Amino acid sequence: MKLPDIIRNANSNLFRNKGRTFLTILAVFIGSFTIIATSAIRTGVSNYIDAQLDAAGGEGYVEIMPKALQELMQSMMSFGSSGPTEYNPETNSTEMTIISPDDMKKISKIPGIQSVKGARNVSVEYIASDKTNKKYLIMPNALPTDRINIDIAEGRLIKINSDLPEITLQPGYATALGYKSDADIIGEMIELGVVEEATMKLQTVKAEVVGVLNKSIINMGRSWINEALQEKILDVIYAGMPESYRNMTVFATAEWDKSLGDEGLEKIKDELDKLGFVGTTINDQIGMVKAFFDAIILVFTIFGGIALLAASIGIINTLFMAVQERTREIGLMKAIGLGKGKIFLTFSIEAISLGFWGSAIGVGVAYLAKIIINPIASDTFLKDLPGFNLMEFDVPLLACLILLVMAVAFLAGTLPARRAANKDPIEALRYE
Amino acid sequence: MSSKPVIATKNLTKVYGKKSSMVKALDKVSLEINRGESVAIIGKSGSGKSTLMHVLALLDAPSSGKVEIGGQDATKLKKRQINRARNRHFGFVFQQFFMNSRDTVLNNVMLPLKIAGIRKSERKRRAMEVLKIVDLTSKAKAKANDLSGGQKQRVCIARALINNPVVIFADEPTGNLDSTTGAMVENLLFNLNKEKNITLIIVTHDEDLAARCSRQIHLKDGKIIQDSVTTNKKGGRG
Repeated sequence: MKLPDIIRNANSNLFRNKGRTFLTILAVFIGSFTIIATSAIRTGVSNYIDAQLDAAGGEGYVEIMPKALQELMQSMMSFGSSGPTEYNPETNSTEMTIISPDDMKKISKIPGIQSVKGARNVSVEYIASDKTNKKYLIMPNALPTDRINIDIAEGRLIKINSDLPEITLQPGYATALGYKSDADIIGEMIELGVVEEATMKLQTVKAEVVGVLNKSIINMGRSWINEALQEKILDVIYAGMPESYRNMTVFATAEWDKSLGDEGLEKIKDELDKLGFVGTTINDQIGMVKAFFDAIILVFTIFGGIALLAASIGIINTLFMAVQERTREIGLMKAIGLGKGKIFLTFSIEAISLGFWGSAIGVGVAYLAKIIINPIASDTFLKDLPGFNLMEFDVPLLACLILLVMAVAFLAGTLPARRAANKDPIEALRYE
Repeated sequence: MSSKPVIATKNLTKVYGKKSSMVKALDKVSLEINRGESVAIIGKSGSGKSTLMHVLALLDAPSSGKVEIGGQDATKLKKRQINRARNRHFGFVFQQFFMNSRDTVLNNVMLPLKIAGIRKSERKRRAMEVLKIVDLTSKAKAKANDLSGGQKQRVCIARALINNPVVIFADEPTGNLDSTTGAMVENLLFNLNKEKNITLIIVTHDEDLAARCSRQIHLKDGKIIQDSVTTNKKGGRG
């Protein structure tokens, strides 16, 4: 018997008992759909996070904070449950919780670190324009490096070393400040209200808007400013105060040589640790969220796997019944010369078909779910995250899944298929 | 006609069970069947006649002794070759028909060629040919289940004929039929024997059917007790 005939035979055999076949396929479908839908959500989420990571500059920089400060923050957060932490002048003094200019020099000498900048206190009161009387809160941040790729909606990213004060804004500010669109505000001068800390006098600082950012979960509302604007703001805040105040910092951002890879990054973190600092990248921060999310995905995948296991027992059962029903037919086919291997193959293909249809329908229904759910999700709970498609299909992964389900079905089918193949034709023909 | 016998056996013995519960189904059976003979294997139930047919048809292997098919020792053949021999050279007709009752007559008849791996158009052509011989061309598209008993057995004969067999084995071919339809099936088989020179090996306990064969082999307790040739019929021992 030729293979196409065997496949045709196997499939027409399946449809002899439509109800039983349908129920078995349904069981396979439930397991496959669970796995496929979860994996689609996983793909959707990781695609979004990856895109966001790229948009935020990926692993291009390391954020540095003193270990003592981290400890202090942790002890405060866990105070309710663990009680006060004992003071140790060696590790807990205020001196240990700041990054001094001396520390900055040491950090910049760590091999692999290309530049390091301290985060300064550039808090401003408001942002305003001459188009409207309304003033808005804003959280500017000095961009640590402009060599990273930031997701810009309009205009361009600030030039860090430009002599002119520049700012890129979060989306929404343009219309709030009285401009028609994001494009309209590019090249316009806006006003930042800054307070002198020593005297509490309000001053204004002007800056040019060079770009508007895209919405993102990772930028967390930061509007980026360049060095020139940072210096102007610091001039106001620390007017009349000693220089050391101005240079004090508790956070620093270092650019590292990405070509060193993960291993290089680990070395840099070790060096920072020796100096008494903690280095984290965006990936480290996202990593925790991702790990939690992956754990949920894993649980669902295990559910799907258990459903598939139950379904494969269903396949075994279905095929055992089929072998029983077709005993005489198997006997006749063997009598008129069909080999053992081909009988095994016929039943195996029946099993594989059950797996294929179950998982293919799973893919189909998951695809329908994607078409229906994605727009709903984007309009509701993912409204503020443009570009986030809840479910996305990773085609090679899906193909692997279908193949895997077919392989599982094949394995399940081997038991009944072997029983069929080993039937003695004489016994089988005598079977009533 | 080939000078060698179609099927020959030497000291064929078939034993079931072990030691104390041992049963000798066949006991040193030696015979030769030539091309064109019609042979009835007769005996009471338990005489070993079915076992003999199974061994001759290569459905069962003997415990000892030799089976030669066209001069070739079948006990030395590989499983594949045995399957092939049954598929190419033998046809089978059973008392209980053994058809796929939900499938069409045509598909049932084509089964041996499907197993042989012959392409579809050729299968169909040959199936229509043999359906013509058994006079069931009009029923080709009908479901096997919708046929009468006689028609079913004729479909089975068509199925047995489709590969141009050298031997047709028939196990109580009229056992499930009334005398009129039974006679029709008998006529069909003996016509094929005469016109196409197909060797018939019929297992039966129907004395009338056995009498129509050119040779009768009587079995008792696994031994041949009588091997007679009916001289007033066409045929004979070679």
